[in-house]
Amino acid sequence: MKQKIFALFILPLFILSCTSRKPLPENVLVIGTETGPSVLDPRFATDAISSTVCGLIYPGLLRRDKKLNLEPYLAKSVDQPDDRTYVIHLREGIKFHSGKELTSADVRFTFESILAPDSISPKKNSFSKIESIDTPDEHIVIIKLSEVFAPFLGNLTIGIVPEGADDLTKEPVGAGPFAFSNYERGAELALKGFDGFIFGKPKLSGVIFKIIPDETVRMLALKKGDIHLISNGVTPAVLPWLEEQKNLKIAMETGTNVSYLGFNMEDEILKNSNVRKAIGQAIDRDSIIKYLLKNTAVEAESIIAESNEFFNPNLRRTAHDPKLAKKLLDDAGFIEKPDGSPRFSLTYKTSKNPTRKKIAEIIGEQLRQVGIAIEIKSFEWGTFFSDIKSGNFQIYSLTWVGVADPDIYYYIFHSESLPPDGANRGRYFNTELDSLLTIGRKTVSLERRKEIYSKVQEMISNDTPYVHLWFGKNIAVMDRRVQGFEIYPDESLDSLAGVYFKE
Amino acid sequence: MLSFVLRRVSLLLPTLFGVVTVVFLMIHLIPGDPVEIMLGESAQSADKEELRRQLGLDRPLGVQYVSYLAGILQGDIGTSIHSHEPVLKEIVSRWPATAELALFAMLFAVAVSIPLGVLSAARKDTAVDKGTLVASLFGIAIPNFWLGPLLIMLFSIEFAILPVSGRGGFDSIILPAITLGTALAAILVRLTRSSILEVMGDEYIRTARAKGLNETAVYFRHALSNALIPVITVSGLQLGALLSGAVITETIFSWPGIGRLMIEAIEARDYPVVQGCVLNISACYVFVNFLVDILYGVIDPRVRVDR
Repeated sequence: MKQKIFALFILPLFILSCTSRKPLPENVLVIGTETGPSVLDPRFATDAISSTVCGLIYPGLLRRDKKLNLEPYLAKSVDQPDDRTYVIHLREGIKFHSGKELTSADVRFTFESILAPDSISPKKNSFSKIESIDTPDEHIVIIKLSEVFAPFLGNLTIGIVPEGADDLTKEPVGAGPFAFSNYERGAELALKGFDGFIFGKPKLSGVIFKIIPDETVRMLALKKGDIHLISNGVTPAVLPWLEEQKNLKIAMETGTNVSYLGFNMEDEILKNSNVRKAIGQAIDRDSIIKYLLKNTAVEAESIIAESNEFFNPNLRRTAHDPKLAKKLLDDAGFIEKPDGSPRFSLTYKTSKNPTRKKIAEIIGEQLRQVGIAIEIKSFEWGTFFSDIKSGNFQIYSLTWVGVADPDIYYYIFHSESLPPDGANRGRYFNTELDSLLTIGRKTVSLERRKEIYSKVQEMISNDTPYVHLWFGKNIAVMDRRVQGFEIYPDESLDSLAGVYFKE
Repeated sequence: MLSFVLRRVSLLLPTLFGVVTVVFLMIHLIPGDPVEIMLGESAQSADKEELRRQLGLDRPLGVQYVSYLAGILQGDIGTSIHSHEPVLKEIVSRWPATAELALFAMLFAVAVSIPLGVLSAARKDTAVDKGTLVASLFGIAIPNFWLGPLLIMLFSIEFAILPVSGRGGFDSIILPAITLGTALAAILVRLTRSSILEVMGDEYIRTARAKGLNETAVYFRHALSNALIPVITVSGLQLGALLSGAVITETIFSWPGIGRLMIEAIEARDYPVVQGCVLNISACYVFVNFLVDILYGVIDPRVRVDR
């Protein structure tokens, strides 16, 4: 009996000790991520990590550079003989990881499979203006739109998949610098450098995305050298600790994710633009950025980032000015009460995210200083988001992620963009803005577009349907030996093709 | 005995049926539309309808429920929305990791708690006993999300002898097993101590001592074997909890088990997988409880008598 019990204890130990830990292969970069990709098909990827990984496996015809401008990638050039037609010239000799050549048929298939009637691609809407796709030869694709749609070029950044590809999540095949190797869900995803990459073989022999959900553990793994890079997913509070670590270096650059306060225009109090402006003036963004966000953000005056060519540099800065805020509230008819009781009270909705809740508390306190009482309500994401979409809020706070093309203004503020068909959650109606936004998406000339969207940004700034808070900085923390890594404002990992280890 | 087992099985089925119903309703009644979450806010209404049709979510709730039940009876608990793999296959692929962690956490808990519990009882009211008492209080009170990183800092960073996270060789299971097993060990120490003290007054102990046996033999051979019954019961029930996936421990140590699968599915709004995981966890509990019931019947025949 005793021997049996002994064996029962020892057997599993013995079995386990036989399975040894794989040593890390040479010249492979290990990236720590919070979650793994849910899909590995660019036509279906919507979450950040799926999009990032798809970006490495499947390059698009165009891509965005560090200033978010579009540049040719698999396409050699894109001509526009008229406002509705795009002629795409593909580079020659592009190879898929399978060895097959990438041709115009694959480009056509990618778009057509997204648009197929039974397709459930979340990107369908972006391509819905395509009227026809022609492939006169292997390296030319001609796309004709049903109407002029200036932001269309931005859609050409989507990854190209091989003709006939059905379920790529199981066996991803693209033409990118890294090819799919293995995916153990919940543990790690391995990619290997692709020798036949059109722009040359990457310096790394592979990349591993190691899934470490807990942030503290991710940092400890980085310190120990189990992983080499963390791109984003760093809470400001841990930055001081990371700075002290001798084997690590930190890179930071302003990104395109903009946090804002949204108002409900149908609300009796908030439909008064002076009240909205007063709220903007009462918020001390500077202190929040400095003390809570540890300088990992920069003040925003627009949804468009400063690095974007459409940014209007002449926008009014919403400085912290409680006196002005009080005056604006007085002008709006909400007179300061002699007994110090609030002029009115508002509900501020936010998610359960701890940093967001802290921000809400600080803003609530700052608004109290000018006589506005704020009740903060935080909800689990599903409930919160469904309230926001149905207009069941007074003030809410959220972030727009990866803003590149200014046509997003149509989606957020046009009177036709009420949820569920758009994101005009605050029910903002402004006919002058509506017509500008409609002209904007039908104008192809870059200079003319810049003028239009400068005016749009100015109108939004003056009428304040949003209070722009800040742009978050993208943070990468890496092993000192990692060289050549660059932060892209849209969080893409394109620079990995040129990354190497310095010994 | 057979009729006793049959009676238990007849109770098992309605319980499982209840679990399936509650899980199904829970998933369908909580706020948040999976279609909306999958396609994003910008998708058009027609596309949302198409996806809803493909996922079968456009049918009345009753019809969906019946087809879900019919699927379960045929061993089909759905297909993952994202990986397109059968949910059952996903769960089965994560089982070894969870089972391994549960087993080692249990081994750790038993290996630590029984000797300490016996020692504590033998040295009742001494510094050793009080020290064990305080230690077990700490063990119960320390949350896993704190203990885990603490152990990592000590053994992986300071001493650099164990890996930080992930599942690999034997060394990778030590810290997760200790983290998960600590609270259980603390409970078992207290339980072992009190059940030993309970049997120490019994006559067979006096007999053993009268025979001239040394104290070690009295405690380990005679007292312990009789005091173990409640300890085994609690361990058995806890094994159900451990097997159902230790969400926090698996998250801290990036342990690719059932708990992680469920969290990943929740984050990706992969409803069939969430449903499958909850069902699996509930079934684990129900099944372990069933086994314990049967074991009771074996150990104590009085339980078998129909009252």
